[in-house]
Amino acid sequence: MSTQVDPRVYVLETREISKSFGAVKAIDQLTISILREWLTCIVGPNGSGKSTLINLLSGLLPLDGGIVVVDNVGLRVVKAHASPDHGITRTFQEVRLFDQISVWDNIMVVLTERRVFPALLERAKPSHRDEAERILKSVGMWEKRDAMAQDLSYGQRKLLEIGRAMAMDVQIYLFDEPFAGLFPRMLEQVKSILKDMREQKRSIVFVSHNMDIVRELSDHLFVLDSGTLLAAGEVEEVLARSTVIDAYLGH
Amino acid sequence: MSVARLRDASVVSFLKIREQQSRLLAMALAVAIVAYIGWKIVQSPDQALQFAFNGLAVGAVYALLAMGFTFVYSTVWFFDLYYGAAAAIGAYGVFYLRSHDVLGGQYAVNSGPVNVLFAVVTAGVAAWALHVLCYRRFQGRAQPRTLLIIGGLLAAAVGVYTGLVLANPANLHVLLSPLVAVLVTGGATWVLRRGFQRVVAPATRGPLGAMVTVAIVVGVLVAILVANTPSLGLYLSWGVACLLSGTVSLALYRGLYVTMRERANSPLIMLVASLGILLAITAFITIVFRAAPRPLPEAFGSEPWTIGGANIKGFNVFAIGLAVAGFGVLLFLVKKTAFGKAVRAIGDDEEVAKVVGINTTVIIAVVFFIGAVYAALAGLVSGHDTAIQPRMGLLLLLKGWIASVVGGIGSLYGAIVGGFALGMLEQFGIWDLAGEWRDVISFIVLIVFLSFWPQGLLPRK
Amino acid sequence: MSIVTGALRNVRDVARDPRSWWQRSKGNIELWANLIVLGWALVFMLWRGGGFAITVGSVFAIWAILAVSLNLVVGYAGLLSVGHIGFLGIGAYTTAVLTSHASYEQLRTEAIPTFGWPFFAALPFSVLLAGVVALVVGVAFNRFRDDIYVLVSFGFAVIAFTTFLSWRNLTRGAFGIHEIARPAIGPWVFDGELEFLALLLVFLGLVVLIAWLIVTSSFGRVLTAIREDEQAIQVFGYRTTHYKLAIWVISAMIAGLAGALLASWSTFIDPNSFVLLESVLLVSIVILGGLASIWGSLLGALAFVMLEEGMRFVPFLPSEFIGQIRQVILGILLVLLMLFRPQGLVGRFKL
Repeated sequence: MSTQVDPRVYVLETREISKSFGAVKAIDQLTISILREWLTCIVGPNGSGKSTLINLLSGLLPLDGGIVVVDNVGLRVVKAHASPDHGITRTFQEVRLFDQISVWDNIMVVLTERRVFPALLERAKPSHRDEAERILKSVGMWEKRDAMAQDLSYGQRKLLEIGRAMAMDVQIYLFDEPFAGLFPRMLEQVKSILKDMREQKRSIVFVSHNMDIVRELSDHLFVLDSGTLLAAGEVEEVLARSTVIDAYLGH
Repeated sequence: MSVARLRDASVVSFLKIREQQSRLLAMALAVAIVAYIGWKIVQSPDQALQFAFNGLAVGAVYALLAMGFTFVYSTVWFFDLYYGAAAAIGAYGVFYLRSHDVLGGQYAVNSGPVNVLFAVVTAGVAAWALHVLCYRRFQGRAQPRTLLIIGGLLAAAVGVYTGLVLANPANLHVLLSPLVAVLVTGGATWVLRRGFQRVVAPATRGPLGAMVTVAIVVGVLVAILVANTPSLGLYLSWGVACLLSGTVSLALYRGLYVTMRERANSPLIMLVASLGILLAITAFITIVFRAAPRPLPEAFGSEPWTIGGANIKGFNVFAIGLAVAGFGVLLFLVKKTAFGKAVRAIGDDEEVAKVVGINTTVIIAVVFFIGAVYAALAGLVSGHDTAIQPRMGLLLLLKGWIASVVGGIGSLYGAIVGGFALGMLEQFGIWDLAGEWRDVISFIVLIVFLSFWPQGLLPRK
Repeated sequence: MSIVTGALRNVRDVARDPRSWWQRSKGNIELWANLIVLGWALVFMLWRGGGFAITVGSVFAIWAILAVSLNLVVGYAGLLSVGHIGFLGIGAYTTAVLTSHASYEQLRTEAIPTFGWPFFAALPFSVLLAGVVALVVGVAFNRFRDDIYVLVSFGFAVIAFTTFLSWRNLTRGAFGIHEIARPAIGPWVFDGELEFLALLLVFLGLVVLIAWLIVTSSFGRVLTAIREDEQAIQVFGYRTTHYKLAIWVISAMIAGLAGALLASWSTFIDPNSFVLLESVLLVSIVILGGLASIWGSLLGALAFVMLEEGMRFVPFLPSEFIGQIRQVILGILLVLLMLFRPQGLVGRFKL
């Protein structure tokens, strides 16, 4: 009983969750615990279940089994529309913006009223406008606010999606490959955004293939392979383990 | 275990129960329907037999349409609503060619502009087909200009021939005999060669000259027979109607869908465009033939037989047989031939199929043609069974669409099973209701299926 | 609002340098669509005079109300419904049954109950009944999307039409319902065509205002997001099914209103006004005018009505074919739009 951990240390846990697609076990009895107010990184080879894990945590896919524990509340079913109530928001691996509406509306839409009838009566509030302006300026998209989201470049779309997640004032942010395909300048921008969010005591989980960034940013590291947990712990120590090196090079 | 966790667990079990409830509900519904039909059968077996037979007869039409529709859908993955118009073209094509035969020629229609229009469309499609099929082969052997002139003349000849056939429906058996001769000769040659290679001497060419001579003799004899049998006019008009609706579908494919699919390959855009085509063709048919329902001439087998207290028409038995045979042909094409392999490859991934060297344009064109022929058959069978009206296209199309969804989207087995199942459910449904509620019953069947069995009866694997 | 300020800026610029007008407007399809349709309508009104303008204006107002209501569903929520004519029919039949004071005993056809209510008493019931039916239908339809949605919405139109045709104790089937009441406020009855046109335009204005309020509210913004990516907007905490259901019911209620007005305007209805093809025509009006644009729906309805009226003056064209030729033209237009301009003339959303 010497190492009793304060339950408040973990913001998000999974207990033996599973997900299969036909005969393929994408996530197999996975148990991980994500620390509060840390930058946690998930790495793993292609097809190791990283995106599936994020989809399960945000309710886009139904769990086959197991429990997700958010803030000490156990959930066997995570509904997508309830994920912000649990304090979770996310970005997507392939950017999913609302293409045929403006950049401004892409941000505004996550700030406004959720309930149907109040939303019908609500016009854009000054507080929402100020918040959208702040977000757009912080991701450097303020000049582009009237453009259609589909007319942006890839990097701008990626940034806008991160901005959209930031506009959600929640505890846990799940970023699915926020650095993929970005030019160095934008890469620095995203890095500084993530660092700022850590400063603001948010818990961040991100998936990346870029080991330099993983080393630079993350406080904690999970390595997935074939839907199971291969290793967890301090970044340098985990990346030095032979099993992890095998998983990346052995396939 | 905190209290919160327990509370959520109860929520979870509640959700599970709801899921089970909907499954139970579906089961109960199925059982109730089966029990109802069973009770009805016990009540009056004769009538039940009658309704079951009617269901099969109606189902044959739905199955024909659904098979063509599914075949096309599982290749290009959008719902092409043109096939409603194809069914109407099939039925009205027969009416157009036989209208002097219907009710003493009271509604006889033969309009020059329509003949010219179809002649031009056929010539265009023929020119395209010649270009796609033959241009490569002759490219090196003659001047491009010579080829162009020859191809143009051939296409024009096909167009003029179509125009002539359409303009003289009373002499259909005479006018079509050359075409019959050509088709029979070709078919006989193929059969003889295959037979010789299979049975007599594998891997040899055989006495080609002798076989062709025999085939030509057979072809000419059949053609002479056809030319001397005016009563064949109706059945020849079936062939012409099917060919016409296939030709229109080829024209649409080359003229429109190829371009559209390059510009924006979105299923909804294609669906709306084909809805526009359906609107335009339906209105065109109304202009030529007027909106009032018309009968088709008497086909064979319109005398009812009485079997076990049910009145059964020979023509309906033929329709059921046609649907089953059509299914067999389609299944053979898909499973046993190189063409079928190519179709499945395109259905799986068109880009990959292109890379592998499949001529996707030609294959898809043939698929469209076959789909239109099946739709036209469905249209003319239903026209002979009841009557024709311009709106029939849309309604038949919806039934075929429902049948393909109920059977399992994209599956051929599903299409035929769905078609017959829909026909049966419809007929048993109107037992206690008036017949005018049958469309409502189909859609209720659809919505129930989509809600409880969204995969359909026999899903595509 | 940005459209208005943009237009004003354009006007100012053109006023400064009139010769630049052609350069500016050459490739501007929206501008040309507006100019041509409005100009065509204006020329016809001036040429044909008042009586013509009143009739055409009334037909236009009813189609426009319908088109705006359908655009809320198709253009903003992205649900391609082809069955909206059913709600028009429900509204029309509710008003017809409640307000008709014909006595059918002399006609020796099936008698239906006679209520003889005034129009304005029946109107709320028409709207409500359309809404209630939409609620039931919407709950069943909510799980469907894209092409399957098209199919089931076809189904709704067929079911509605069959009900109008076959529930003879209520609708008199193919005979139709006569002597539907005209609206009256106290002693003042909207008997004349001009008064009725004014009433229609008031309702049209009201509907446009309501639609504008909806699409510019937070609700409207969420709808467009649902149209673009339903899963993605769910992750941000929206119960999208509730939103889709709400706009479906609102849209159906507006269509019910249009139905009530239609019944009262024509004083006679039969099921032929609510056939499936009419519903498809309505969809093509909305797509032609422009998806996700209220002005587009008004423009589409105007173009549709003027197309019919314009064809009356084509020489050698038998008048019984006008409806059919209009249908051919609309069908071809639909194809061309899908090829070259999937958002419609002045639309903001491509299918």
